[in-house]
Amino acid sequence: MESLEILKKKTNLLLDIAITLMVSGANTNRANTSINRFALVLGCRAFSMISHKTLVMTLTDNHTGETYTKVQNMPSYAINFTTISCISKASWKALENSWSFEQIEEEFKNIRSRKRYSRIQVLLAVSLAGAGFCNIFGGDYISMAVAMVSTFVGLFVLQEAHKKDYNMYFRVLLASFIASSVASLGVVYDIGDSPDLALATSILFLVPGVPLINSFTDLLDNNLLNGQVRFTSGLMIVMAIAMGLFGALLIFQ
Amino acid sequence: MTEFFKILEVAIWSGVAALGFGILFNIPKKAIFTVFFLGFIAGLIKFILLHLNTNIIVASFAGALTVGFLSMPLAHKIHQPPVVFSIPAVIPMIPGYFAYKTVLAVMNFTFIETESAKRGELINDIFSNGFTMFFILISLTIGVSFPLLLLRKTTVKNMSRKLED
Repeated sequence: MESLEILKKKTNLLLDIAITLMVSGANTNRANTSINRFALVLGCRAFSMISHKTLVMTLTDNHTGETYTKVQNMPSYAINFTTISCISKASWKALENSWSFEQIEEEFKNIRSRKRYSRIQVLLAVSLAGAGFCNIFGGDYISMAVAMVSTFVGLFVLQEAHKKDYNMYFRVLLASFIASSVASLGVVYDIGDSPDLALATSILFLVPGVPLINSFTDLLDNNLLNGQVRFTSGLMIVMAIAMGLFGALLIFQ
Repeated sequence: MTEFFKILEVAIWSGVAALGFGILFNIPKKAIFTVFFLGFIAGLIKFILLHLNTNIIVASFAGALTVGFLSMPLAHKIHQPPVVFSIPAVIPMIPGYFAYKTVLAVMNFTFIETESAKRGELINDIFSNGFTMFFILISLTIGVSFPLLLLRKTTVKNMSRKLED
């Protein structure tokens, strides 16, 4: 009986790690590999079925042959590459130094409590990225400033909508509409040499780069189902961005 | 010479854009410089190729492929999984302007233009911009993930060797 309790605890920990990885934006293969590494350290074998919203895992103890299966739902996705990086590193260290269950649990707790960049840091960095985009497409400095301001406002709206827990695609639509509306003012009042470039770049901070790239790695890995799910989710975001831009163009042109 | 500085400036802004997205994705502090560097290199390669009149799809693919291959040794060097900096680094190459032109043409076609000759031009715009956008997106994703898939073989090999010990 004792050993089954331990197996339950191990399964819970591994499930939490896998879910954290998926939610942070790792591809399916990475989640599987990390889980297998940790399971190896804990003297078990793990078999899991990973989908977009649910994770099913069966853990088999190598010595007793006991198994334990659990299904868990995933929270909403929030991309966090620091978490992915730390868990990956921890899995290597665990394998090299044969960590105990408690050590892994402790390390995972530490990783989870790490702070993200502050809101203002993110706002400033992404606004600068918006200005950079404008330059890449050939905009002049005034247009870059317009792109920067509209990105800032758009991202601010996105974060506020996130706090209010609106539907994900609605959030993107709203942010896209607001950002392109602000940039459209530049077109209306003819600010800078290339106001249309500022308009085109004001919404690029919403581009679903991580779901789309992960979708292709999943597809190439033959995780076809997850790949398709990610692609659809990315496509929905792209459509939401286009709809927002569409609305702003209709009003301002 | 001014051409060269122009390309250099654009490449630097590519690095800045990559870094901005990196911060949005919460990359580790250690990876900040690497992300900037990879974004810079990708921009440099893409714009030099564009300057030499290469097709934009090919140029984007070359940039993404370079990021994918460079991210492998860099990943080993600073002990991070390669995805952490390869994804932010290719984001500046996303074909935003083509996407915008496609949406604009679709809108004009549906809501505004009634003259049939102009509508024909708009269909041309929709298809040329839309497909350019689509193929750039595909070449970016394949360019960046292909080297990572090649690398994976070796990591799995290391792991199974460990298993046998």
